[in-house]
Amino acid sequence: MRKGTSSALTLSLGFAAVVALSATVVLGLTLPKTFEQEEYSRLIAVHPGVAWAAYIAFGVTAVASALWLLPRTRSRTWDLVAGASAEIGVVFTALMLVTGSIWGRPTWGVYWVWDARLTLSALMLMLLVGYLALRRVPADPDVRAQRSAFVALLSVLVVPVNHYAVEWWRTLHQSRSLDMTPSDDLDGEFIAAMMLGLLAFTLVYAWLLVHRVRVARLEEEREDEALAVAIDERRREAEVVG
Amino acid sequence: MWRDALAVAGKDLRIERRSRVGLQQIVPFAVLVIVLFAFALDPDRGVLVQAAAGLFWIAVLFSTLLAVQRSQAIEGADGVRDATLLSGLDPSGVFLGKAIAVAVQLLLLEVVLAAGVVVLYDVDVEGIGTLAITAVAATVGLAAVGSLYGALATGLHVRETLLPLLLLPVVAPVLIAATRASESALADTTFEVAPADWVGLLAVFAVVYVAFGLVAYGSLLED
Amino acid sequence: MGYVAAGYGITIGTLAAYAAWLLVRGRRAGGR
Repeated sequence: MRKGTSSALTLSLGFAAVVALSATVVLGLTLPKTFEQEEYSRLIAVHPGVAWAAYIAFGVTAVASALWLLPRTRSRTWDLVAGASAEIGVVFTALMLVTGSIWGRPTWGVYWVWDARLTLSALMLMLLVGYLALRRVPADPDVRAQRSAFVALLSVLVVPVNHYAVEWWRTLHQSRSLDMTPSDDLDGEFIAAMMLGLLAFTLVYAWLLVHRVRVARLEEEREDEALAVAIDERRREAEVVG
Repeated sequence: MWRDALAVAGKDLRIERRSRVGLQQIVPFAVLVIVLFAFALDPDRGVLVQAAAGLFWIAVLFSTLLAVQRSQAIEGADGVRDATLLSGLDPSGVFLGKAIAVAVQLLLLEVVLAAGVVVLYDVDVEGIGTLAITAVAATVGLAAVGSLYGALATGLHVRETLLPLLLLPVVAPVLIAATRASESALADTTFEVAPADWVGLLAVFAVVYVAFGLVAYGSLLED
Repeated sequence: MGYVAAGYGITIGTLAAYAAWLLVRGRRAGGR
């Protein structure tokens, strides 16, 4: 979990992210077509990467929430990180759903299938959306942080149970399964593209997290300032009248 | 802790017996949902009978939302916060008590609803033992996680819209597992995963959230 | 190739848009 401090950090992160991402796109789009999936296997450079970033985002929200709840490590920063990571998580989870659904197209020719992985991603998205909705409810920042932290932990607890439920349901029950993992004898360049994608999207996530936390902090400071100004004005009015 | 739990559960159930909100509002609501499904899915097309288990559990999930909201509402405007903090009761006991009360009400509702589904959807039940065990395992989990989220959403103006959004994704595995296990107890169904596995999953879910509630309910209520 | 390109495009485009939005918000909130 990084604290947003200097621009030097985000500039170097951003630069690295852009470089890695560009390389990923170039490498990914120039991958050869495979026999099973034609050009769709080129998505291997993108889909696992955004999925990985989505999982990281979810995990960071959970860990930051736990750190906030423990009195010894409680700090405003962890609450901001939890919220920021969840918002970024929504973006990556949505992308995971989109790329996953596109990847399934050659096999089914439709936009959505209830394959285990897509179903789990959809559930993850709903958990995150609910969490963000809770954060929007106006309240004292500490109260809101407390509530959100608990919801984050409750949401994380269900993930393993969810995983088995959906896996058993969709994998054993139906013969369909979206085979998005490359077969073992896939060429090294596919693996390389996937790894590069993982790296690139991790860097993008980190850059987004740092900026999102900083934005949250600044906006909070703005609100506090505005509140202080308003209180001051009322006090002055009262003095004039009184 | 158990003494406090039984005291709270007893109080909640006594309130229900007097006010009969569950009986007069929640049960009819559940039956209404079942009936609406019949309108939507057209009994003549045979879909209804195939989907019966799933529709039953969806109706139960919606009823859980109502039951949990009601469980919070009877504590007054500030909900369960006052009841616990001011009364000196053990928070874990309060959690257990409220969850037990919700579970009892849900189980009774499920009996009525099951009868309704059997009659209205023309379903053949073969494994009533399986159904019973499934229902108990699922209900304990629903009551526990529902009481947790209910306490979290206490006092929020947007509770009515927020609670479903928060709770329903979390109980998705319960829906999946309970439906699969229930389906195996109905006639003419084949299954690849043994009902015992599904019930095991329901049990794990229940244990996880009961444990979390016992440990965290107190701090959950602190401001 | 259309769908794959769309997938890449949506991914990069969404992330770029989100990044740009964050930068704008940062500046508006008195960013450093």
